[in-house]
Amino acid sequence: MKRVRITLALALAIGLAVVVVAVLSESPLTVIAKNDAAGMETSLGWTKITDTRICQEDETVPGGTIAIRFSLYALTGPPVEASVLYGDRTVALGERGSGWTGASVTVPIREVARSISPVTLCLAATTTAEPMQVLGTYTGRQTAAYEGPGEALGGRMKIVYLGRGHDSWLSLTPYVARHMGLGRAWSGTWVAVLVLALMLAGLGLISALVLREFDV
Amino acid sequence: MYRRKRTTVARSRAATPWRVIRRVPAAAWVCTLVAVLNAASWSFIVPPFQVTDEPDHFAYVKQLAETGNGPQLSAPNTYGPEEFYALKALRYTSIRLRAGAAAIFSEAEQHDLEVGLQTHRSPASTTGNAGTATDEPPLYYALESIPYTLDLSGNLLERLQLMRLLSALLGGLTALFTFLFLREALPGVRWAWTVGTLGVALSPMFAMMSGAVNPDAMLFAVSAAIFYCLSRAFRCGLTKGSAIATGASIAIGFATKLSFLGLAPGAFLALAILATRGWRTAGRQGLRAPAIAALIAASPAVAYVAAKVLTSRHPFALATSAIHDLHGSLLNRANYIWQLYLPRLPGTRNDFPGLSSTRQIWFDGYVGKFGWLDTAFPGWVYTTALVVAVAIAGLLLHELVASRASLRARAGELAAYAAISLGMMALIGLSSYLVYPQKFAEYGQVRYLLPLLPLLAVIFALAARGAGRRWGPTAATLIVILFFAHDLFGQLQTIARFYG
Repeated sequence: MKRVRITLALALAIGLAVVVVAVLSESPLTVIAKNDAAGMETSLGWTKITDTRICQEDETVPGGTIAIRFSLYALTGPPVEASVLYGDRTVALGERGSGWTGASVTVPIREVARSISPVTLCLAATTTAEPMQVLGTYTGRQTAAYEGPGEALGGRMKIVYLGRGHDSWLSLTPYVARHMGLGRAWSGTWVAVLVLALMLAGLGLISALVLREFDV
Repeated sequence: MYRRKRTTVARSRAATPWRVIRRVPAAAWVCTLVAVLNAASWSFIVPPFQVTDEPDHFAYVKQLAETGNGPQLSAPNTYGPEEFYALKALRYTSIRLRAGAAAIFSEAEQHDLEVGLQTHRSPASTTGNAGTATDEPPLYYALESIPYTLDLSGNLLERLQLMRLLSALLGGLTALFTFLFLREALPGVRWAWTVGTLGVALSPMFAMMSGAVNPDAMLFAVSAAIFYCLSRAFRCGLTKGSAIATGASIAIGFATKLSFLGLAPGAFLALAILATRGWRTAGRQGLRAPAIAALIAASPAVAYVAAKVLTSRHPFALATSAIHDLHGSLLNRANYIWQLYLPRLPGTRNDFPGLSSTRQIWFDGYVGKFGWLDTAFPGWVYTTALVVAVAIAGLLLHELVASRASLRARAGELAAYAAISLGMMALIGLSSYLVYPQKFAEYGQVRYLLPLLPLLAVIFALAARGAGRRWGPTAATLIVILFFAHDLFGQLQTIARFYG
């Protein structure tokens, strides 16, 4: 049956195009700046379960920021909304759906054209099933992040500002391949080559199987 | 007449293991190979110890392989000096759960790591603790002791990689048994078996877990073997040989991982249904094979209780402690377990505010949350996956409606599979409820449901058949390429997170 062959060829061609164009031509998010709490990370306390709103003053959002990473730990994080306030004015907003896991949550925002300072960053979650742990470094109450008026946390929350990198994934391939070969048994760039070979072998087997089994 | 016919069929199908292996179609072996290659690829992608609980499972194997004794809860809960050094040098705690932190990236760090691993080599102490793995049964760890011991002169990371490759082989077994299960459960359309099996072999979460040191990898294989044995028994009757195979599979499950306790009641229910059928068709004679299977299946549990009694320990300490820790009313527990999987019912308390557990824990979890669940796809991938899932569900529904008559005839078999699934889900729910509300979905991780992958394979296979005789192979081709693309994107995402 010709149809299976055509479908296979088309699907592989489209798949390859998507990988090369949509994925490898993209630039990864890169760290533009970190705030002054980006050193040793410690627990500053836990958020409330309902109507959580953590704010931190005296932040600088660098130009080109398209996402902000807040240091909060949750196993299954709630939906969160981030806002950047310059005085009373909201200069950027962003939100992230629930279900994130880890010690940080990255919230995409509309690109900030130029550096803004001083701003107050707030992260709000209206409903959470579990409290989130705020991570950062200890400071005095005056400069600490706070959860509601007068409810200062133990210090300043670690915040990272992310922007679009200049290099595409494709141009970063040699760097990534070298990096993959570190920190494991039998180190070397061959690890990346092996992974590629394994997946190509898998794809070859699958294609052969499709033609043999489905071409009825 | 009927009785004689069934017995003859059962006898004619009884065969030696070698003959059974020779009858396995080439497509099944290719699917097996694809699963092994895929899991092996994942094993080289994910940095050491950056898969859920891998440090604990490694500690268990080290303890068992070097001392011959399993870990003990009473021992101090710290890793040995060698593993402790490796974790520190690999910046394990600063990478784990931190999406922005990449694996070590300089030649100097690599050099220090290699030198340090040699200087910090140390044997396991006679008593050790393996954290969350300490309570687990020893079979998987005993198997992993083989690659561990094979490369005893190599450094810790070499041993870990060899152990990961053994898990990848177990991943291949899962695919093989899934194929055989589909052949028994959905006879007729050959190519559908391949679609279903590749759906499993190319599932990124399955491949990632099968490329790690974790008894889940073996549990997937054992579970697939049980599904195969049961489907064969339901289709051809239970012979002495297949009863031994079924019982042995269940027994191996008990010796593999504690969470097998969730699958076991359904497996025993299946044996009870087979016994009832046997009684109806052959009287007392028909009970023999199911009884053999049940006896073999229960043997590890009996041996465990006997060993505990002989060593003057409480045989049910774990169970009684869990029951003691259970809090809240029965209704609250049932409500929690329901909501862990499904949208809450009107008038019930909301245990998962701001979260759709069906979508965010289970669906998104299956689509992909890699490493320590800290590596996720961009949001649009989950939305796209949902569209594909709806299309697959549509095809599945079409096929189910078309074959509803045959479904009715297999009610007993389907009830057994449902019981296996519900048992697993209830166990995960109860375990999560033990630590609720401090942690609201501790075991809400899709890997705990992956032993049910053979049933998901049935869904994929039926969906492909649902496209009809004319378009089925075309739909199947598309589905398989989608599976591959999904897996590839999962790998790229993980590479970007750790090495980008």
